[in-house]
Amino acid sequence: MIAARRRTVMGTLLHIFVGVMTIVSVTLLVSIVAMMVAKGATALTWEFVSQPSKSFGAEGGIRSQILGTLLLTLGAGFVSLPLALGTALYQTEYLAQRLKAVSMRFIYALNGVPTILFGLFGYMVFGIYLGLGVSWLSGVLILAMMILPTMIVSIREAIEAIPARYREAGLALGMTQAQLIRAVIVPQSLAGIITGMLLGLARATGETAAIMFTATTFSGVDLPQAINEPVTTLQTHILLLSQEAIHSSATDAVWGAALMLMVLVFCFSLGAFVVRSRLRFAA
Amino acid sequence: MTRWILGTAFLVSSSLAAIILLFLISGSFPIVIQHGWTFLTGVEWSVGETYGALPMIYGTVMVTLIALAVALPLGVGTAVMTSELVGPRMRRTLKSLMEVLAGVPGIVYGLLGMVFVTTWVRDSFRLIDGNCIFTAGLLLGVMILPTVMTLSEDAIHAVPDWYREQARALGLQRHEVIIHAVFPHALPGIFGALLLGVSRAMGETVAVMLVIGSLDRLPAPLYNVFAPAQSIASKLGREAAEAIGVGLHWNALLGLGLILFLMVITLTWSAEKIGWQGRLHRA
Repeated sequence: MIAARRRTVMGTLLHIFVGVMTIVSVTLLVSIVAMMVAKGATALTWEFVSQPSKSFGAEGGIRSQILGTLLLTLGAGFVSLPLALGTALYQTEYLAQRLKAVSMRFIYALNGVPTILFGLFGYMVFGIYLGLGVSWLSGVLILAMMILPTMIVSIREAIEAIPARYREAGLALGMTQAQLIRAVIVPQSLAGIITGMLLGLARATGETAAIMFTATTFSGVDLPQAINEPVTTLQTHILLLSQEAIHSSATDAVWGAALMLMVLVFCFSLGAFVVRSRLRFAA
Repeated sequence: MTRWILGTAFLVSSSLAAIILLFLISGSFPIVIQHGWTFLTGVEWSVGETYGALPMIYGTVMVTLIALAVALPLGVGTAVMTSELVGPRMRRTLKSLMEVLAGVPGIVYGLLGMVFVTTWVRDSFRLIDGNCIFTAGLLLGVMILPTVMTLSEDAIHAVPDWYREQARALGLQRHEVIIHAVFPHALPGIFGALLLGVSRAMGETVAVMLVIGSLDRLPAPLYNVFAPAQSIASKLGREAAEAIGVGLHWNALLGLGLILFLMVITLTWSAEKIGWQGRLHRA
């Protein structure tokens, strides 16, 4: 009798604990988004989005910052995609079975590297040794390294999900490995490739630490005229304003910029979400 | 031909992590020669004179532990709820929410932390300044919450249904099924999720930089989490641009980077060893 009651009490306690944790987690995270929207929405007007900033962000808009973030992110995707695709294809099509796990271990290791370390590495190697300095190109290369693992894993998953009979049909037609890759593997994993690309872009968009001293300068920069010129980005703009702003319109600007950044990141990750679920229905 | 092109891409991406490690090792050589063990055990960091990494190492460990203490109950509790106690529709909603929220950029957390969390911590614990270890840990805990939740949920959900059915058939109540039948099997995965979340918290730069107080000193007494401090990542974020790639100061920063790299890589590889199934794009 007592034992039975204890069991029921335990059950109730677990339910309560789990319920409370869920409510707290969801509330916390939803209120973060809600707060960003509430604070940023008033600042985020068309003028704000479409005009360049004036007097170090205290006035004007964030046009150059938005474009700068996109330039860096898209550049990184552009550099990273062929590398990621090549890596994933080599792993699945050519690499000996026993080496696959080992090679993934190195990719996971790269994924774990704190982003600030990519910054240190890139500052020295791209910035100084290769003479690129603090520039758009340095930032692109650094971010490309950073998003590589995300893209590789996603592309690999898609390739591994291709049914064996597709492969067999291709081989039965007498295709060489290279022809098989071009005619079967890549087209069949296209959705996964796009998903990986978008997830990588989402990751690059939100990144600050890796680019703050390697690709961007805080003031007096508009769009780069060449690949070896610095850019200005939303991320570093927020960093600058949040540390130095006392002026109230600059405070509005910082929330507007932060909301804009979040919208960009969500666009990429929701895009990945949509492509991925489409893929699932198609298969 | 195709084979060689793909092979090159594969070699480049697999060797990047090792190249970064070598870069950090060779870069921190001068500081190890000059300072020896005192680089690790020294408690004072003044540029141009002496470089002691202990306060930063301590700060990193402390913020990470606090983040873990926040994310463990919230993340795992929510994961249990999502996987075991709600319907499939609600589960999908919660999962999608978490996966999208996992992408909120660090700089946004930093901004929110600076404006709201520091004042909240200051007022509720009657401190002079809210920029401290506790604030940084709290912020990181919330930041890694979606990652921890969604990866633990994957682990719990992956436990085959017939474990649950058999346990039910033996007369176990719902909570007992969770505790005795599901949890033991999901434990490695949950552990992996936590380690992965923690390694992300450890390397986070901007969010910590803005709220930790940036004081390179061990708190007194040591357990005082309300003291301003410094983590390795935040230190690197603050000083990398000043050191401009030359001199012992730069070498000392690379030494810090090496310590951080080794701490994170240990966590990543343990997570892998324990049985995390590698879904980077959710992390």
